[in-house]
Amino acid sequence: MLSFLIFLSSGLFLGWSLGANDASNIFGTAVGTKMVKFRTAAFISSIFVILGAVLGGDGAAQTLNKLGSVNSGAGAFMVGLAAAFSIYWMTKSKIPVSTSQAIVGAIIGWNLYSGKPTDLSIFSTIVGTWIFCPILSGIFAVAIYFMTRFIIIKTKIPLIRQDMYTRFGLILAGAFGAYALGANNIANVMGIFVTSNQFHAVTFFNFIELNAEQVLFLLGGIAISVGIFTYSKRIMMTVGNNICIISPLAAWVVVIAQSFVLFLFASQNFHLFLEQHGLPSIPLVPVSSSQAVIGAVIGIGLIKGGHGINWGLLGQIFIGWVATPVIAAGLCYISLFFLQNVFNLTVYY
Amino acid sequence: MFHIKFPMISQSRTLENKLDNFHDKIIDAAALFHRSIKFFLGENENQNECKAINKQIKHIEHEADQLRRDIENELYSRNLLPNLQADILQLIESLDKITNQIDDVIYKFYIEKPQIPNKFHNKLLDLCEQVADCVENMAIASRAFFKDKSVVRDYTHKVYIKEQESDSSYNDLKKAIFASDMDLANKLQLDLFVTEVTNIADIAEDCADELLIFTLKRDI
Repeated sequence: MLSFLIFLSSGLFLGWSLGANDASNIFGTAVGTKMVKFRTAAFISSIFVILGAVLGGDGAAQTLNKLGSVNSGAGAFMVGLAAAFSIYWMTKSKIPVSTSQAIVGAIIGWNLYSGKPTDLSIFSTIVGTWIFCPILSGIFAVAIYFMTRFIIIKTKIPLIRQDMYTRFGLILAGAFGAYALGANNIANVMGIFVTSNQFHAVTFFNFIELNAEQVLFLLGGIAISVGIFTYSKRIMMTVGNNICIISPLAAWVVVIAQSFVLFLFASQNFHLFLEQHGLPSIPLVPVSSSQAVIGAVIGIGLIKGGHGINWGLLGQIFIGWVATPVIAAGLCYISLFFLQNVFNLTVYY
Repeated sequence: MFHIKFPMISQSRTLENKLDNFHDKIIDAAALFHRSIKFFLGENENQNECKAINKQIKHIEHEADQLRRDIENELYSRNLLPNLQADILQLIESLDKITNQIDDVIYKFYIEKPQIPNKFHNKLLDLCEQVADCVENMAIASRAFFKDKSVVRDYTHKVYIKEQESDSSYNDLKKAIFASDMDLANKLQLDLFVTEVTNIADIAEDCADELLIFTLKRDI
């Protein structure tokens, strides 16, 4: 058990960095424009990230396991660490990076090292969602933008009251966004530990029952929360105006759009609903909240004429799509070799 | 511990009322300006009534100043409309300059009591009416910015029309003043008055220019 906890540290570190970076996608503009206080944003996002992770994190985690079922604690540790270092490296190079892409790359690195086959259909589904996610987010943002604009024009809400409603809206959207982030992205943080999980089911106060996987996700959720509280403030204060200058109301549209996208890619109930009705179902895959935000902001920017969009950043995102998984896979492969041959640890069974 | 910065509905309404009152003061100032010039040009002008008018405009100007400070203070202290804060403050400051200018003109009439020949009265009253209309439309346009921005353009357009009319009246009046047989000192004094009156419409026009840009920025 102790060794498992030590191995889990890389996942917790990954969770911490996810909280530090991705909470800014949810509350960045609200906090940056001082519409919502950081403490409020951090508290709400922490609670809802944990709820999302524990209650809705299962679906996307299963998909990652289908891609590569990392069956040893030491292997999972190195997959997590390789992903974390890739993120660190890419962030230092100022390329917008996705935890999802890093972890998928690292899992493929483990598959290659352990000689396990990579399910190409799952892999292509995941890669497809990386491209589909920002596009879908952009479409949602445009639709929500027009709806909001129509309502504002029709209802003629006075400007001061509009400001108050926007604050309420940003808090609610932030809570939903945090839940969706927890549900979708916990797979990135803890998904690799599911197979080697040594936790047991627990019951809190005789009525809250968590299975072993949910306990794992709870720890991951707490790690994300710690990341939010300790390191996300600086990023929140600078985010929001990077791609295109947006108003608080447009920021609300962006948060709602990206939250919907993350939720769709994590919701098992919606997935089942679509399947039962013979509709093409949305795969349960961890997607990048940063890229969903970028898609939404670009969607709004385009309908405003596309003048204020920083197109250079789009090129960087494209580089990130290719470079992040490749770097993570290479790093993971080399590190597993060292872990196995220098430290004599079993990295796969 | 977790203080959510939601202004309560009543607080929002209070600020909305203050904005309404501020715009009312500008409309009041414009109406009083027109009335007071009519009165100063009248034959039965008496000192006490002149004093009362001057006091009235000072009171309106003082109340507008107080409202401006309250609005600015609330916007900053409660961090309302962070993305539009600077624009709103600029708009309120610019509108306040209108009441200040009206106050200055009335005060000058009250103190200097210029001799204005009868033949200029109608032209001067026309100019004052155009200026007062210009200011009134500006106040309505600004109010619409806070309530229904779809009509802002209608009212700013009226501001521009009235400002052009006042410019035209000013030119006619200026020509007539300098073509008259008054002393040069009187001509210069009267010209200064007319210029100061026209300046009120010019300030309103500048406000309209700013307001149109702020309205474009208000789009979500």
